[in-house]
Amino acid sequence: MSLKVLNPNAEVLNKSHALHMNINAAKGLQDVLKSNLGPKGTIKMLVGGAGDIKLTKDGNTLLKEMQIQSPTAIMIARTAVAQDETSGDGTTSTVIFIGELMKLSERYIDEGMHPRVLVDGFEIAKRATLQFLEKFKTPVVMGAEPDKEILKMVARTALRTKLYESLADQLTDVVVNAVLCIRKPEEPIDLFMVEIMHMRHKFDVDTRLVEGLVLDHGSRHPDMKRRAENCYILTCNVSLEYEKSEVNAGFFYSSAEQREAMVAAERRSVDERVQKIIDLKNKVCADNDSNFAVINQKGIDPPSLDLLARAGIIALRRAKRRNMERLVLACGGEAVNSVDDLTPECLGWAGLVNEHVLGEEKYTFVENVKNPHSCTILIKGPNDHTIAQIKDAVRDGLRAVKNTIEDEAVVLGAGAFEVAARQYLVNEVKKTVKGRAQLGVEAFADALLVVPKILAENSGLDTQDVIIELTGEHDKGNVVGLNLRTGEPIDPQMEGIFDNYSVKRQLINSGPVIASQLLLVDEVIRAGRNMRKPS
Amino acid sequence: MVGFSMQPYGIQSMLKEGHRHLSGLDEAVIKNIDACKQLAIITRTSLGPNGMNKMVINHLDKLFVTNDAATIVNELEVQHPAAKLLVLAGKAQQEEIGDGANLTVSFAGELLQNAEELIRMGLHPSEIIVGYTKAINKIIEVLEEMVEKGSENMNARDKDEVITRMRSSVASKQFGQEEKLCSLIAEACIQVCPKNPANFNVDNVRVAKLLGGGLNNSLVVRGLVLKSDAVGTIKRMENAKVAVFVGGVDTTATETKGTVLIHSANQLENYAKTEEARVEELIKAVADSGAKVVVSGAAVGEMALHFCERYKLMVLKISSKFELRRFCRTTGAVALLKLSQPNPDDLGYVDSVSVEEIGGARVTIVKNEQGGNSVSTVVLRGSTDSILDDLERAIDDGVNSYKAMCRDSRTVPGAAATEIELAKRLKEFSLKETGLDQYAIAKFAESFEMIPKTLAENAGLNAIEIISSLYAEHASGNTKVGIDLEEGACKDVSTMNIWDLYITKFFALKYAADAACTVLRVDQIIMAKPAGGPRPPAQGAMDED
Repeated sequence: MSLKVLNPNAEVLNKSHALHMNINAAKGLQDVLKSNLGPKGTIKMLVGGAGDIKLTKDGNTLLKEMQIQSPTAIMIARTAVAQDETSGDGTTSTVIFIGELMKLSERYIDEGMHPRVLVDGFEIAKRATLQFLEKFKTPVVMGAEPDKEILKMVARTALRTKLYESLADQLTDVVVNAVLCIRKPEEPIDLFMVEIMHMRHKFDVDTRLVEGLVLDHGSRHPDMKRRAENCYILTCNVSLEYEKSEVNAGFFYSSAEQREAMVAAERRSVDERVQKIIDLKNKVCADNDSNFAVINQKGIDPPSLDLLARAGIIALRRAKRRNMERLVLACGGEAVNSVDDLTPECLGWAGLVNEHVLGEEKYTFVENVKNPHSCTILIKGPNDHTIAQIKDAVRDGLRAVKNTIEDEAVVLGAGAFEVAARQYLVNEVKKTVKGRAQLGVEAFADALLVVPKILAENSGLDTQDVIIELTGEHDKGNVVGLNLRTGEPIDPQMEGIFDNYSVKRQLINSGPVIASQLLLVDEVIRAGRNMRKPS
Repeated sequence: MVGFSMQPYGIQSMLKEGHRHLSGLDEAVIKNIDACKQLAIITRTSLGPNGMNKMVINHLDKLFVTNDAATIVNELEVQHPAAKLLVLAGKAQQEEIGDGANLTVSFAGELLQNAEELIRMGLHPSEIIVGYTKAINKIIEVLEEMVEKGSENMNARDKDEVITRMRSSVASKQFGQEEKLCSLIAEACIQVCPKNPANFNVDNVRVAKLLGGGLNNSLVVRGLVLKSDAVGTIKRMENAKVAVFVGGVDTTATETKGTVLIHSANQLENYAKTEEARVEELIKAVADSGAKVVVSGAAVGEMALHFCERYKLMVLKISSKFELRRFCRTTGAVALLKLSQPNPDDLGYVDSVSVEEIGGARVTIVKNEQGGNSVSTVVLRGSTDSILDDLERAIDDGVNSYKAMCRDSRTVPGAAATEIELAKRLKEFSLKETGLDQYAIAKFAESFEMIPKTLAENAGLNAIEIISSLYAEHASGNTKVGIDLEEGACKDVSTMNIWDLYITKFFALKYAADAACTVLRVDQIIMAKPAGGPRPPAQGAMDED
């Protein structure tokens, strides 16, 4: 072989070998992920190198943690990760769709068809499906007051595929309210303004939305209040601790008095800064029974904490940077970088500042704020893997709501779109295509059916029965999806099962591209020495 | 390495070397259940008052002799991922309530064992999960009905009421000694119970373990017991005011490095004098403020100590930050950062501070009988370290139960009466269900039998006989009949006075059911190659302040 002449160590696969390796890898990956799909999918347990446990149903998490090695599988996994990055959901569907495209192509290729022809068919079908999606989608008007019901339905559809039903339903309200809370008209939604905080405590169903902020640290002085109502909040980024000079300085003294004077002078500048804060507190809290809290991004050293505690101020130090931004959005006021120009206008306000201690961890709740533009989803669960699972799901739920608001459209779920698109391709598009590319269109159309098929399979239903029933209904002109409990067709609109438009579009866009690339590979070469494994 | 042309089909080929992939019913679910069963078998024999002790030697060669499940599972360092889920459930129970970890682990194991039978019968795990979820919801309903009337109101300061609720929890750890222990714990807890009992802080009841003597020599001290000697020669002080200095009792120092500038011998002499004068001035100021005891959070300088002695000040050194905070809580003192004259308000008060020798160890006993003291200490005596450790764990459980009962004082009948009643009611409920999940609900009910069975077995009784007579009693409407382990008969718990806390049962059952369902939900396991290399350093180090 020519390559062997050039590099005797190189490995090479060509023609049908290369193709079959790709197809096998795609099918293998599909096999792993297909049991995840849909609300009835099962959970995978991932055990890390250190024995840590992760439970997941999320395709994206699974692909990330699996550490896949097969080059083809990596390509598919990357597409799925891209799917997650652009639309936040649909990773499992992507992998399954690619796997199915490859599987169906295999049959035609074995019959002697050239992959190029199939790929042409894919391209035609893809464009037609995207056009069909435009027609098929249900537009949703997102004015100043978005339709909460629609958002809830989308969020519920997304969440139910990640968590069990009752928990998913509860989180639905949480994520929808969270997104609506941070949404500002005319501005893109920044999901980073939703803080996701977790506490290992109680049960997963105790997860809730906090209108305000939860910080994962507490005040550092035993005499500070644990709970304060009607609290002014000063958000600042001012160092309240003694800092050594940058140059190598030393003191010279010849009596203890002189040294005492030095000690006092060292602290003076820090004390002055603290005093300014205390003055402001005395000014705003002089004639009412409100409280005062300082949340500082920089440090506060013990002497300063002591001064603040004596003045009745709650002080939190070393807050996270992202939380400084959120605090201002949640409580109002502004973050100050210097204490020289403090005015009451800089202050935010919260109805309740409360410290909660769990074992050795402290949490500070800043709650009951007026008109918040930032909020916290507080995830609770008895152990780390539950929390991690909910966290992934919440992230997907938030993305789903955000997508809906930005797309201003939703797509009927429960497999309804896939069946409708398939019927459209087979009945209308295929006839307009000339030549063998028709077969590519047909393969693409059938591959779309994989989603309802696997949904049925995971629910313990007979796949063939289900598909025949669904296509039958569609031929009669009824747009129906699959009821996973009974296996009967249902109207997704009535049941409130909606998927994201952008998820579907991304899926149809990226799936065929990667499948085409893999089909057009006719030689796989591994050359160069493997440094780690000398053989 | 195998050339990639020969790669086998399937998932295994796609994973990194050393990774393992298990899937399907036989490979994943049944194996998981098996591992959990093994774990439950270990903990089960420690359940109840007659439970056996386990001897566990952990990776640091530390020996544990205990029947406290939380400690056992913690030190076992379980590796199997599914069994780990059970351990986590037990830990969650320990963190939430502080008691009942054994019930959680053993019951979850029993649920899984019964689930295995269902799977072999042909039920799908998802149907079992549905059934178990229905069952646990029903259980919570029934448990609420089982609450003893009148138990929702509790006087948190009444020793008898507290002991009633605490006894079963302590007895399961230290059978035979529960009377003595309960009264110690109850006394200590009631002493420090705040105005609103719900704010009770477990940290305020301390345990000081001193080798020697026996449990009967144990006592409760209203105040703190420090396991250290006083620094100076003054070892005893009564009705004294206390000044607390976090930063140490010594000459002050600047943050920046200082150098003493000396040109002549004269200056050197003068410097030493000013230094001395300065320290004397400070100590005198402290003495003038009325304080008779000085507590330092850091080093005590030689010179400072000298002046303290001269001004008849007793000096204590407490280097732990948390211990120092507790000391402040005991005495009502405000910790001062630097050595200076304290405000009268910042001074604390103690009835007596004295250094005593107990069993060869010198301890400082700080007593403060008057109001406002929020710390009490149980001084435990015992013949060996492991006995002391085990007694301490029993006390921890007791104190945690006190906390739990302050939050929710409702009780349910103990001695397996509740479990049998739940089993009976759940069986009735399962007959009304129509779907396949009724089998799962019935199995859930059956799982409750594990508890009376284990209690009886551990006590050397005939379990089958006991269970059948319990069922008979409950069927005839005596819902409060449980096992009397001493006589080996069935008796009404009201006469035996054995009550469990509702809240402990509630969390234990719920965590157990959650853990069992989670194990059943998993159908694939992907294990990474175990990481080599040294273990990461232990977490949970104290933070600096």
